[in-house]
Amino acid sequence: MTDQSKVKLGSSTDPYNSAEERGWNITDASTITAPLQLEADVVIVGTGAGGGTAAETLTKAGLSVVMLEAGPLKTSSQFDMQERAAYRDLYQEGTGRGTKDGGMVILQGRSVGGSTTVNWTTSFRTPPETLKFWADHMGVSGCSAEEMAPYFARMEERLNIHKWPQAPNLNNSMLQRASEKLGYEWATIHRNVRGCLNLGFCGLGCPVDAKQSMLVTTIPAALDNKAKLVHHARVVRVLREGDAVVGVEAEALTPNVRGSTGQKITVRATRTVLAGGAMNTPAILLRSKVPDPHGRIGKRTFLHPTTLTMAIYPDTVAPFYGAPQSIYSDHFQWQHVDDGPVGFKLEVPPLQPAFAAGFYSTAGEEIGTSMDQLAHTQCMIALMRDGFHEQSQGGVVELGDAGQPVLDYPINEYLLEGVQRSWNIMLEMQFVTGCKSARPAHKQARHYASWKEAKAAVAELQIAPHKVTIGSAHVMGGAPMGDDPTNSVNDCSGKFHHLDNLYVMDGSLFPTSIGANPQLSIYGLVSKLSSNLAEDFTA
Amino acid sequence: MAGAAALSTMSAGATLSGCTSSSPAAGMKQLRPEDVELIRALTPAVMKGKIAPGDTTAIDQTLQSYDTLMDDLSAPVVAGLRQAFDVLNFGLTRGLTTGQWSAWSKASLEDAESALARLRQSSIGLLNAIYAAMIRLIISAYYLVPGNATATGYMPPQKVASVAPGAAPAEEAAP
Repeated sequence: MTDQSKVKLGSSTDPYNSAEERGWNITDASTITAPLQLEADVVIVGTGAGGGTAAETLTKAGLSVVMLEAGPLKTSSQFDMQERAAYRDLYQEGTGRGTKDGGMVILQGRSVGGSTTVNWTTSFRTPPETLKFWADHMGVSGCSAEEMAPYFARMEERLNIHKWPQAPNLNNSMLQRASEKLGYEWATIHRNVRGCLNLGFCGLGCPVDAKQSMLVTTIPAALDNKAKLVHHARVVRVLREGDAVVGVEAEALTPNVRGSTGQKITVRATRTVLAGGAMNTPAILLRSKVPDPHGRIGKRTFLHPTTLTMAIYPDTVAPFYGAPQSIYSDHFQWQHVDDGPVGFKLEVPPLQPAFAAGFYSTAGEEIGTSMDQLAHTQCMIALMRDGFHEQSQGGVVELGDAGQPVLDYPINEYLLEGVQRSWNIMLEMQFVTGCKSARPAHKQARHYASWKEAKAAVAELQIAPHKVTIGSAHVMGGAPMGDDPTNSVNDCSGKFHHLDNLYVMDGSLFPTSIGANPQLSIYGLVSKLSSNLAEDFTA
Repeated sequence: MAGAAALSTMSAGATLSGCTSSSPAAGMKQLRPEDVELIRALTPAVMKGKIAPGDTTAIDQTLQSYDTLMDDLSAPVVAGLRQAFDVLNFGLTRGLTTGQWSAWSKASLEDAESALARLRQSSIGLLNAIYAAMIRLIISAYYLVPGNATATGYMPPQKVASVAPGAAPAEEAAP
């Protein structure tokens, strides 16, 4: 196993170290002691895949832009690859976000760069099957594979998205070997990296700025183009004058972003772009009490509900090191698009210890003995493609007592069938590649020593919510686009149906889940929408 | 992804209201005196084989780590977690849900194991969710104590030196 305990990494790559020389306008709202009032052509709420892409496009077109971010500004100078600080500083609710009944854990980023700062760099264009489904069934126009292609190409070039050229780590390699043995299709993942050292700590913030996240690409470009960035600023609501939105009101957050300082930030803008990500964007709309005549805001929020199996191999796997995701299989993804059992994508996750420990859903001796073999452990995940079948309507975003988004996403029989089926497939894949034992993510499961034993056990386990372990790192939908206002929130330019000058440009626009890790879907769509907005503006 | 370190808990409103004190215990940022007793009792059961019931040093380290983790969560998540604590701490609901009728400070290792098993095997989803939240936080807290993760074969990396400007790492093969 590579000893990565003394990786020599520096901060020379951190673009924010030269913020002053470059004349960047960055405000830490936790430090303001008087109300802050700003004006711009466009205010962009959120700095993740949507906000970052929009900021670069709009500033390039000569527009003045203010970017607001609720999370902190954390950069590679501070990324030390330690789990505790990363989970505290870079994730929504300190990784405590979950669905309303606690049935699913939700990982979402929350710092400048949003989830792009902590994602695993996996980049897929929106699958043509998904785009066709949107056109055929969800009233989406202008987003065919052909119409989207130039925008995907533009963002692939911008973010250096390319097929990962190095050998996969063993965690990923097992997915490839198993697919080959069982005759499943598989392929190499494309990643948005430049100068990647193959370390494996993408989820904790890239320490060498190899990951081409918004943090180091579009946001610096927007700042070079005179955009203003205000972080520690949580948008409470949009401001309205009659039927038009004229900006936003935000509250300044304390340095640890857990509370409000009491200071207010107001940005007045000709156009307002919401890009806080799914859950947060619908929550802003709900808090703003904007018109919602058909009750669509927050509905049909999707998660790619994800379950997993863990296996122990005789040889070292070292699943905590190396590019986290480099191999995938869509063999079980598109057998039915919308009229059969749920399809799923197969991938693997990185297994840093505190993260991996949560996968077992078990306590007592089994957790310690399992964790003692973490270096020999391989993990498969199945990401279920929700939102296509009529029995998959996703969840609903509501507001909690503090005005925070709460996602009520019941786990139904349709998804549970997918969970059980995916376990059988993934367990068999692990046994055919020579694991000593494997276990599915069920609270009453254990490590089984053979495929036969595992299969028999899976048939006997009670497959019910809270018994099975399911989580999500892909929140999508809740403010979908579509031509018909009765079943969508925004039109296909991202403009809110019921008010002027208000736009949504993030993953909440998706009318279903994507069926692939969503970052490039957001980049491509927002590249298109923000280009159109810029043209519209200057026309 | 299937979240994990992922310290999810149930949301506010999903649990019973409680009858516990509201101030943190001495030396704690979040955990109240009753919560401390609960975590002390559960930790040797959750980390059996790693932490013996009498190993107060290891229990205290995990407890401190747990308190820090909890302090890192958002206020709504902390509120939900408090409600879970209330269910497990308030005499009647503690007894009904876990079979632990005396205070947690009097619980043996076997009592704690039995309590966890009841939460895990319950037919009530909420109790399964409380079980998941409790064990995830204790296990994560344990593995976040410096040094504890080395038994997994993981060598936590450290940035040890600054790379000189211009000494950018070699590019991987061109796309």
